[in-house]
Amino acid sequence: MLEVIKSGLETSIQDWPGRQGYLKCGFPWSGPMDHWSFRLANVLVGNAPGTAGLECQFIGPSLRFTADAVFALTGADMQAKLDGVPVPTWESVAAKAGQVLEMTFPKVGARAYFAIAGGIENEVFFGSRATFNKGGLGGMGGHSIKVGQTLPVGTGGNGVAGRRVKPEARPVFVTDKRWNVEVCAGPNDDWIDEAGQQRFLTTDWKLSSKSDRGGFRLEGPEWTFTDKAHNKLPEHGSDPANIVDHGYPLGAINLAGQTPIILVNDWPDGGGFINPYTVPGCAFWKLGQSKPGEIYHFQQISVTEAQAAARRITALCTESSIETL
Amino acid sequence: MAHEIELMTAGNMWKVLVKPGDAVKAGDTLFIMEVMKMEVPHEAPADGTVSAVNISEGEEGLDAGFVAVVID
Amino acid sequence: MIYDAPRFRPGGDRFLEIEFGDELNLELNFRAQGLGQAITREKVKGVGEIAPFFSSALVHYDPDLIGYEDLCRELKRLIESVASSNDVELESRLIYMPAMYLDPWSDEAIDQYIEKINPNKERDPDFVARINGLEDAAQLVRVHSGTEYWVAALGFWPGTPFMMPLDPRCRLFAPKYNPPRTYTKTGTIGMGGGATAIYPVDGPGGYQIFARTPVPIWDMQQKLAPFKEAPYLLRPTDRMKFIHVNREEFDAIERQCAEGSYQMNVVGYQKISLQSYRAWVATLDMNARF
Repeated sequence: MLEVIKSGLETSIQDWPGRQGYLKCGFPWSGPMDHWSFRLANVLVGNAPGTAGLECQFIGPSLRFTADAVFALTGADMQAKLDGVPVPTWESVAAKAGQVLEMTFPKVGARAYFAIAGGIENEVFFGSRATFNKGGLGGMGGHSIKVGQTLPVGTGGNGVAGRRVKPEARPVFVTDKRWNVEVCAGPNDDWIDEAGQQRFLTTDWKLSSKSDRGGFRLEGPEWTFTDKAHNKLPEHGSDPANIVDHGYPLGAINLAGQTPIILVNDWPDGGGFINPYTVPGCAFWKLGQSKPGEIYHFQQISVTEAQAAARRITALCTESSIETL
Repeated sequence: MAHEIELMTAGNMWKVLVKPGDAVKAGDTLFIMEVMKMEVPHEAPADGTVSAVNISEGEEGLDAGFVAVVID
Repeated sequence: MIYDAPRFRPGGDRFLEIEFGDELNLELNFRAQGLGQAITREKVKGVGEIAPFFSSALVHYDPDLIGYEDLCRELKRLIESVASSNDVELESRLIYMPAMYLDPWSDEAIDQYIEKINPNKERDPDFVARINGLEDAAQLVRVHSGTEYWVAALGFWPGTPFMMPLDPRCRLFAPKYNPPRTYTKTGTIGMGGGATAIYPVDGPGGYQIFARTPVPIWDMQQKLAPFKEAPYLLRPTDRMKFIHVNREEFDAIERQCAEGSYQMNVVGYQKISLQSYRAWVATLDMNARF
């Protein structure tokens, strides 16, 4: 078990790929944003890659181990210390009962992932342990972890300390605050005119601090539209970006009027605005590790290329990426 | 003894509540950051006088660890 | 417009959107629902889940099991083989939903918006009445409540319905707030575009609002009977009829819902036949208003 001493900014239990199967009930999948780092944390401690663990955001939690355990931290380095001794990231580490793991903030990246051998065993809600904090689904009583809670840990773990992810198998976070983010055209790219498409792909978009697990708001120039956006039936709505309410893919760049919002893990799965582009799964680790004020430059790739890139990441989230110290 | 108040997180500077010369008590909120649509207040760790304020309201894209306020 | 053939568009590496047309038309939603049912029945390889919306459907697929082009071909075949929607009948529960129209809570939310965000906002009931050519807010109430609403989809937030009027004489349109409100009370009933929705929890919102229901559509404690299997009340293909209540009745129902003693009125034996619906619509004088 893990006792929560400090909760961090918003730390939540997530599993991967999250709570799938209920989009038609309005349930987002949730799950970890940087699923590359998350899965490798599980592989390090001998768990199946999708096992429930913690996503820590911007300010990390402090946890006390009530039993001996093997854990791993991946993603952004939040300067973790175990009883005051610095803990390496991307390695499996042994903890003894009573030891306290403290984290602060990352200098590079934004989100850290904590996996423990045996996995976190909070209550399953509609097939998943993942948390949709704002909506009150899953996690601990529907929400992110709180001070004083005890997080249950599975006893079937098979953890060995002293394992490390090979450096070449890890995502590398930018240090110059500029991200190149892959994007696929569609579903509604035909609502944006040629100039608008060029503008989108050549602009340095700034990530707003009004961004969270529901959506990443981007700041930049105005969008311009094709005829079908201006001349349409009244039931679509009066704004050129309005459409008769339709489904929103995970990763869609949803154009709320003139504000593009990238729909991330706790996303609203339908509504009345168009989605001219979609960020594919292979780029989500970049979204998960970026900070407000950083710049996104979008690079268009095909659906096939995006699928191949996702496969490459999945292939890296396996035992073949692990070396013994 | 000077206290350097560092930013606890990356994010934006939402509200700055003190200026150089202000007297503060332990626990007073000095400034409030915004990240993930959440407010992150930063408090004075001890009584003292503000000697430096290195941040301004509305500043965006600040880094965690930056020394925002100094209290003597 | 109903498209001759459905249009397929990719949504990143693992989603696709199927558009059956671009208007608010029961026929299009029947196609979307029908496809959803066919996919479940045939267990199409590689399809993770499907979420039908008004005139479209969002499909999640596993690219390791099926490629985008192959999936489009497979779904096209399935759409064509599903009985032409002439013969389609869907089971449809009817839910009587108490609603207080021109309620004080919507008034308060509008007051707040006018005070803090946009002093020029015309009050929602008057605004929606005016732009739809109605005499006044009282006529808006008659027209809006005069029809059953078809739950075409749940989405945006857990358990939240997207609804369209079944009686075309009750069609109304309403642009969304720009910028949106920061606060709307749970149970508020409002309109955006041609759709009606109910807010399942307190929160921001952009619909024009003019009524409120004391009955929850989302309850994690699952206190009332229709919530037995899940914390959400509604399903796509439900119909909703708003039943007028005054403030006294509203408060009484709200209390009963909190206690778990409220008897919800859910009618569960009906089917909607698209053919019968079309025949009935053809008899109507589209210009008549209640």
